[in-house]
Amino acid sequence: MNDPDRLEQPWRLWASVAILSVFAFSVLFGFVLMPVMQGRAAGIDAFEAICRALGITPGSPAARQPTTNAKAQPATRVAWSADLLNSLTKATAAGESLAGSCAGCHGRDGRAVEVKLYPDLAGQSAAAIYKQLHDFKTGSRPSALMTPMVQALTEEQMVAVSAHFAAFPVRPIPAAQLPAAGAAIEGLVARGDSGRGMPACNACHGDQSGGPTEAPRLSRQSREYLAAQLRAFKTGERRNDIYSRMRSVAAPLTESEIDGLALFYASTRTY
Amino acid sequence: MPISEEIIVRSELRWAAISVGVVSVIMIALIYAGLVHHINPPSNIERIDPKTLHLGGEFTEANLGTRVSGDGQVTSRIVATQFTFQPRCVVLPANRRVTLRFATPDVIHGILVSGTNVNTMIVPGYVSQVHTVFTRTGDLLMPCHEYCGLGHSEMSATVRVVPPDEFKPDAEGRVACDAR
Repeated sequence: MNDPDRLEQPWRLWASVAILSVFAFSVLFGFVLMPVMQGRAAGIDAFEAICRALGITPGSPAARQPTTNAKAQPATRVAWSADLLNSLTKATAAGESLAGSCAGCHGRDGRAVEVKLYPDLAGQSAAAIYKQLHDFKTGSRPSALMTPMVQALTEEQMVAVSAHFAAFPVRPIPAAQLPAAGAAIEGLVARGDSGRGMPACNACHGDQSGGPTEAPRLSRQSREYLAAQLRAFKTGERRNDIYSRMRSVAAPLTESEIDGLALFYASTRTY
Repeated sequence: MPISEEIIVRSELRWAAISVGVVSVIMIALIYAGLVHHINPPSNIERIDPKTLHLGGEFTEANLGTRVSGDGQVTSRIVATQFTFQPRCVVLPANRRVTLRFATPDVIHGILVSGTNVNTMIVPGYVSQVHTVFTRTGDLLMPCHEYCGLGHSEMSATVRVVPPDEFKPDAEGRVACDAR
């Protein structure tokens, strides 16, 4: 026992036996016993179950789903591709010349002339502007004013005009401050309400939140415009949000919460 | 005072026995879950384009929810998106083989239905499919269990399991939560 090399020798044999038997048990159990027993409950025969466990045959083969004639409308027809998102980051001269016809309502520099009715476009996310233009054109978001305006625009023109307005700076906070929205509203913005299954507003609308691509900036839009859009989502009058992302959040909001949230975003620069 | 080799060996053996014991308990728990609770990895491999999910076909908004096809197969189609499920509540019958099909247009989500063996990830580009038989009736919670963004904690849906005689599809074979 004094020879340091001798110490391990009596262990080697049965340590190897132990490891090999664990390995053999795992193979037997994982590839044979478990699949056969689980397969029996699912009506799969033993041979098939073993082949599936080994990966020789695929698992449940993709079963042909019944064809559907379900209409995709009226949710949006926009499909985000990497190319489209890339092109939205570049302001072009084409965008500037097209923007002339928007200036009557949305202003030359993207600051709306009548903020209660029309949204500011300055500093808005280009993806958000593009999606709304696209939805106005396809009728996903019907509008007596905008739908005829955008009919003539091509894909490239919608991209150009979106990128153009996105490049302007956001309107500054007015000198006369609006009243604070209150702690309850700020809680909704920052944390949501788990009791009603409502995620926080800034989970999607926060700066760099990592939420959906088309989520717009909300800060510095007018109270009236924001409240009108929330009400339209709540009643289902506006339904161009993919998979009811906004409708499901707006539905449980109370009238006073809608006004409070509109006030909050109208008076903040953060989001 | 030097410790004798015999004591060292005995101590090592003791700790080795504890380690083997811990691993064995975990393995037995896994085997028990696999055999008794029928927990096994989902095996469906099926691709779908996440960019155009909403534009046509199976996962358009109007086609989601529970539907019984002509041959009596009950299928529920659910989209997981930041930060909600569409629909947020599905009705399924108890004691009958049902299929749940999931897809997502944005990021990785995951679901489990509490108290059942339904548990799968939902990965953009793939359809996740689970077959099961619900044995308990009632409203089961189906939370998102894969961190998907800032609104993850509020993302959950309800699976309403009803007795077979209360499961009444309409003329199109559809069953919805608010229709009941």
